[in-house]
Amino acid sequence: MVLVMNNNWLKKNTFHYSEFKNIDRLVEEKTKKKLSIALCLPTLNEEKTIAKEILIMKSELMTHHQLLDELIVIDSGSTDNTRKIAGDYGAKVYRANDILPRLEVFKGKGENLWKALYVTNSDIIVYLDADIKNIHHRFVYALVGPLLLFDDIKFCKAFYDRPIAVGKSKIRPTGGGRVTELVIRPMLSLFFPELTQIMQPLSGEYAGFREIFEKIPFPIGYGVETSMLLDIHEKWGLDVIAQVDLDRRIHRNQDTKALGRMAFVILKTFCNRIEKLGLININQDLFNEMIQYNLVKNEYQPDILKIEGVERPPIVEIAEYREKFKIKDLKKSSPDYKQ
Amino acid sequence: MDTYIDKLPSFVEAIKSIKETIIANIVFIGQVPSPTFKEKRRTAIFMERLSEARVDECTTDGYRNPIGIIRGTSKTKPPIFIVAHLDTHFPRDVDHNFTVKEDTITGAGIMDNSVGIGVLLSLPEIFRKLDLCFESDIVLAGVIQSIGKGNLRGIRHLLKTWATPIRGAVCIEGGELGRLNYYSDGMIRAEIDCNISTTNAWEQRFRPNAILILNEVINHILKLKLPQRPRSRVILGKISGGYKHGIVAYNAKLGFEIQSDSDRMVKTIYNDIQDIISDISHENAVGLTMKTISNLKPSKLRYNHPLIKSTIAVMEKLDIKPVSEPSESELSIFLSRKIPALTLGITCGRNYHLENAGMEIEPMFKGIAQIIGVIMAIDNGACDE
Repeated sequence: MVLVMNNNWLKKNTFHYSEFKNIDRLVEEKTKKKLSIALCLPTLNEEKTIAKEILIMKSELMTHHQLLDELIVIDSGSTDNTRKIAGDYGAKVYRANDILPRLEVFKGKGENLWKALYVTNSDIIVYLDADIKNIHHRFVYALVGPLLLFDDIKFCKAFYDRPIAVGKSKIRPTGGGRVTELVIRPMLSLFFPELTQIMQPLSGEYAGFREIFEKIPFPIGYGVETSMLLDIHEKWGLDVIAQVDLDRRIHRNQDTKALGRMAFVILKTFCNRIEKLGLININQDLFNEMIQYNLVKNEYQPDILKIEGVERPPIVEIAEYREKFKIKDLKKSSPDYKQ
Repeated sequence: MDTYIDKLPSFVEAIKSIKETIIANIVFIGQVPSPTFKEKRRTAIFMERLSEARVDECTTDGYRNPIGIIRGTSKTKPPIFIVAHLDTHFPRDVDHNFTVKEDTITGAGIMDNSVGIGVLLSLPEIFRKLDLCFESDIVLAGVIQSIGKGNLRGIRHLLKTWATPIRGAVCIEGGELGRLNYYSDGMIRAEIDCNISTTNAWEQRFRPNAILILNEVINHILKLKLPQRPRSRVILGKISGGYKHGIVAYNAKLGFEIQSDSDRMVKTIYNDIQDIISDISHENAVGLTMKTISNLKPSKLRYNHPLIKSTIAVMEKLDIKPVSEPSESELSIFLSRKIPALTLGITCGRNYHLENAGMEIEPMFKGIAQIIGVIMAIDNGACDE
């Protein structure tokens, strides 16, 4: 089967960060539209990078320009100084477990992002990974730019070159994106070729309107980016999505085993989604364990990681959320962006 | 005079209240690699940040030193210069991304001199925060081609082509807090190059070893009798050479500085080393050459110069203990042009010239208050005698 793809999206909805460099204009648009913006940084032991992210965003986008209204950190239980440092540099810091305590506790990035919807009040939420070594405020203003300047865009994702830090002080110019190229892109090509136009579907930097995020489920772990993309595409179509080239993002290099575990979660999320959409029929329950092997004293020993694949429902279905945001009638608040 | 001195302790807290802006400037400028002669990208960021800081003028001189000017209230008072060098010791491929923690910032070049440049860029915002304006124009200059083979070209050019008189100057260095440099030794910075030419691999085996030749040069330099007055010394600072472990080295290089508070003594020692080189070169029939990289004449302010007296008062008010040593830097060029100037350090640090250099954040606020105090002293006439 060959799909004739509409390449207009790529031209129309792909931006470069430099197009949004005029931050004053973004602030003006934000004020005119009476919108507010929150930045959420999910963390787990990020003491090396968290301070820099917070102070740069605070200095550039809260003090010099009033683009951001909230800056929060949601922590999964760091054992280093992440929470203290984040608080010292002026972020509002939450432990994920303390938010919505009535609910069962889970640990994962997706859990933090989902709970951020409850503790923030803003109309637009920006999510950034907290391990960006070369953080710059363009990571935020470029992601909110399309949301503020183009009325039809509701969700914006980052892409970039991905040099990786190797060793203590050297940077390798190319590399990374292995899970994207080896796992998610082949899957998208097979089932959603339109979505292959998104350069880095797994990037951890994105922004969107609350009205979108509150209506989609959030897997608690690594699968959150995959499910988010598929759900937004399914519910509102490709035209509400934009992508922005952020130029360069330096991140920690992960070993192949860690990437394998990430790939497992992403594949599982993907399989669940495509089955739910009726695109495939899986005749058995998928297993929950990623099995890898280590050579220990000349013997191969299995290294098993159990991943439950728990998913949080759309937060708008949570009573506390509806109460906080005074949402009574779910149907009324559901926008229909499909043309 | 006492009025501004008394305000200084309260400045520290006010400066601290905009620590995000100051650290953001240090990070933005310091993460851009800027080896000597390749400062273009850092210059661009410097200009961008200054222009965002809304200085009255932002430009580069004919040598591409970036400059920002904050206009003063007087049309007649000459400008006050605040300078920091833009170049660092690290090549481009070294990771320049900094790690910021509660009390420290770590990364290549942070102490020499990214913190200095970052603070320089923050001054417009700090002046606004402290509600300060000056009679003199304040010229904020990031100077290029300063260290090593840069030979202070940036500052030399800037001052050579600056058309009007200059009231006084403060040179900012990352560390160490308490540093008070107001005199420069005479100095010659030079390199000795040993090259053993060979025409084929067989011949190479029986030629002298360039490293051993340099070793002989070093031994002879160490035998030189250097006087205690005028205070003089030879610093052997850099050495490199050879190709691989099992091959006799056919090239080697020694970098050194002769420093003395007497220009004549610098020249005498230089001539002595030149004689050593000629002798060893002749004896061993090897190519041995000495090349001068930089040459500075000694220059100083009197210890009882009002600028030094005011600076010591500023430091004492802030509980900073002044430590005076000679400094061969931008300071030398100001002093050689009879412009009252000094060099101050901003904070405490470690591993200055290693990739894991680190600075302490807390002392920096005092270091900045000290710079503000000295600018106020100059603006109050400390350099007008």
